[in-house]
Amino acid sequence: MELKKSIYKILFLVFLLGFPMFVRLSGQPVPGKDENIPFLVTFGKDGKTSWGDADFYQVFFFSILKDYTKPIYIRVFDPDCGGENDEIQGEFNTKTKFSVYGGKGVDPEKNEESRGLLKGLNYKSGNLLASKIFGNEAKYDNKYYTFGPFNPSEGDFNTKWNSYMFKIVCEGISGDDGNLYRYFLSSEPDNNIPIEGANAFTYAYHFRMWNDFKSVSHIYPYIDTGVVYIRQSNFDWDNDGTILVVSRYKQGISVPISDEDNWVRSNIPIEPQEVGSSLDFQFHKRQDDLVKNNNVVIELENQRGDAVKFFSSPIGGVPIYQPKVGYEKVKPKK
Amino acid sequence: MRKRILYIITIVLVSALQTRAQQPSVYEVKRMSFNIKGFNSISPVIIKDGIIFCSDRRFSAFEDRTSFDGRRLYNIYLAVKKDTSAFSKPIALKSERSNKFNNGPLCLAPDGKTVYFTSEVETGELAGYKKFRNHSGIFIAELAGTDLVSLHPFKYNDPQFDVGQPSISKDGKYIFFASDMPGGNGGSDLYSCELINGDWSEPVNLGPKVNSSGAENYPYMHSSGRLYFTSDRPGGFGKLDVYYTSLNNGSWEDPILLPEPINSSSDDFAFVAEPDLQNGYFASNRRNEDDIYKFTSTIIRKVSCDTLEENNYCYRFFEENAVKQDTVPFRYEWKFGDGNHATGPLVEHCFNGPGTYTIQLDVVNLVTKEVTYNEKSETVIVTEVEQPYISAPDRISTNQNVTLSADSTNLPGWKISRYYWNFGDETIAVGKEVPKSYLKAGTYNIQLIVSAEPDQGNNVREACISKNIIVFPKP
Repeated sequence: MELKKSIYKILFLVFLLGFPMFVRLSGQPVPGKDENIPFLVTFGKDGKTSWGDADFYQVFFFSILKDYTKPIYIRVFDPDCGGENDEIQGEFNTKTKFSVYGGKGVDPEKNEESRGLLKGLNYKSGNLLASKIFGNEAKYDNKYYTFGPFNPSEGDFNTKWNSYMFKIVCEGISGDDGNLYRYFLSSEPDNNIPIEGANAFTYAYHFRMWNDFKSVSHIYPYIDTGVVYIRQSNFDWDNDGTILVVSRYKQGISVPISDEDNWVRSNIPIEPQEVGSSLDFQFHKRQDDLVKNNNVVIELENQRGDAVKFFSSPIGGVPIYQPKVGYEKVKPKK
Repeated sequence: MRKRILYIITIVLVSALQTRAQQPSVYEVKRMSFNIKGFNSISPVIIKDGIIFCSDRRFSAFEDRTSFDGRRLYNIYLAVKKDTSAFSKPIALKSERSNKFNNGPLCLAPDGKTVYFTSEVETGELAGYKKFRNHSGIFIAELAGTDLVSLHPFKYNDPQFDVGQPSISKDGKYIFFASDMPGGNGGSDLYSCELINGDWSEPVNLGPKVNSSGAENYPYMHSSGRLYFTSDRPGGFGKLDVYYTSLNNGSWEDPILLPEPINSSSDDFAFVAEPDLQNGYFASNRRNEDDIYKFTSTIIRKVSCDTLEENNYCYRFFEENAVKQDTVPFRYEWKFGDGNHATGPLVEHCFNGPGTYTIQLDVVNLVTKEVTYNEKSETVIVTEVEQPYISAPDRISTNQNVTLSADSTNLPGWKISRYYWNFGDETIAVGKEVPKSYLKAGTYNIQLIVSAEPDQGNNVREACISKNIIVFPKP
């Protein structure tokens, strides 16, 4: 009897401890490891949109669970614009500014302007916690620069996600080169140590495609309650292959793709079973003619016009299509 | 030589007896107890509690009725069922017409209260003249206890010709009656009217298949859709005989003569039957007076009998999510487990026969050119329909000899003890394989009733299947 009680106690404790583990996420590299995206990209404001950046800035959010109280760090890989990874236009002359915001005004669910979808609106809302401008600086090339430490409570609290929100804005403040970079939300200043339960998301993804036929990039928009369809907009895809949308219920539907310096939009119906999970937007490169250094922008909104988040770690995990075969009797053809 | 002739005669006689034995009568008839010697009883109508009929009997020992010229008058009577075989002494259902005019034959509307009955049209002084020929018409009344009240005439009654012997369809939408109105095919013909917006439409002659150059009378629309009637046309057993026909695609089929002993060399008429056609009544003068007889069919005829379902091994296979999308960049390749294959998100395939088949779906991603072999597999068990099976041609000609077979019956676990065939023309046979020919053209509904040996609880399982066979006239 006592043994039985003990087993129940253990099982209960496992449940209590284990359940949050299942629902929490622990990956904060941006782009995420499941996304298989080499770099985010932001061009200097003098660049041409046909090079793959529609607005010359990119906004990303980090969420940290309320019960995480240790300092956090936002690390930027290759923040300078020059050297090995970045995209040169003539000569490297671009300055890029990274700014970290916290406090009231950051949470994009309470403050739509913060999402950074429309130029001219105040996407820099919130308290500026730190910022730094990078030029062509070899000491940052292929290296991390760390912002922080920040106290998690410096973020803007979101009750729905039970998390504090931080925002990082990358702006190409001058020049015309493309700055390619990555983020990592870390619990340590000098190492990439994931923070349990944290995540990163954006509303407009500007990223660099692989220069490789076989590499498939992914982004994972989260389908929230009440979504009936989503409207995707992709920019400057350069007809570089196919975008497939995959979920547990979609083996892969292709969406119209943009050519150079061009937006293309289409609607994607959402099955009721897809609500509360993530879609997998797969970016398959064209197999016949390699398009190099292709930078892409993608945005999603639901049927109400509300922007849809892309999480670096897909909520609910990477969706895997579940094939379903049906059959029924039919009358023989005469 | 004499011995040889005797031998041949014996063989012929035995053969004849055997032939008769192979076609036993499917009806038993019995004269009803409420018939009275010296009086006529005709035109039974089945009601829930008994029978309504017409008779020219006396109202009572003290009360008699005759016409102005001394002819006996028919009136309507009700015989209430005492039990399954006995009836109480009939009581008269009287109306204002009962004492002076003939009343009946009749029928009841589906409401069970409205009575349509035949009587005479002229009720004035003229009706009293000996030489006056008073024509019959249909009258409508309400049955209130044993009284017929609120009488009013049918709109197509006419003092120049007879209109009578009404029968109303089960849904109340059609009335059938006999009339010698002008424009018929000779003698009395059968007509129908349709109830449209509460009013009976113009009478329509049922046409030459039903109405011969002789006299057709006593229409009775059975709930099954069969129209029974009486005719003195040639080809019967003699005098008046009972026939039935059915509507097929808007046309009446060739009438079928009911067998003996319902029909006889005497007048046999005014046939009515219970919904299952197993029991019913008719009138006959085979014992000189018109009497009412009960018939009991020995034919097993199931009211609920499934229609034969042809075995079908054809299936539609689909990738459920793919078919919801207009286009998908995938190719779906199906292997059906029998060596056949097809391509597409939705495919159809017919297997050769029963069996267990493993269906395999391979998917080719047209973007990546990757092939996912056996992305999904399903086991499909193809079976034959569990049912008795009638192997018979769909169409034959009259007098064509065919063999009907129950050999393909698929009732797993049944120990079948009997195959019983109801050929739909009032003939039957027993056996797994039976010969058959039809004398008349028409559409016949064949029922095959299969019985299993009794189980341990002495319960006998039965299954019934039916199939239509079209018999067309021999060219």
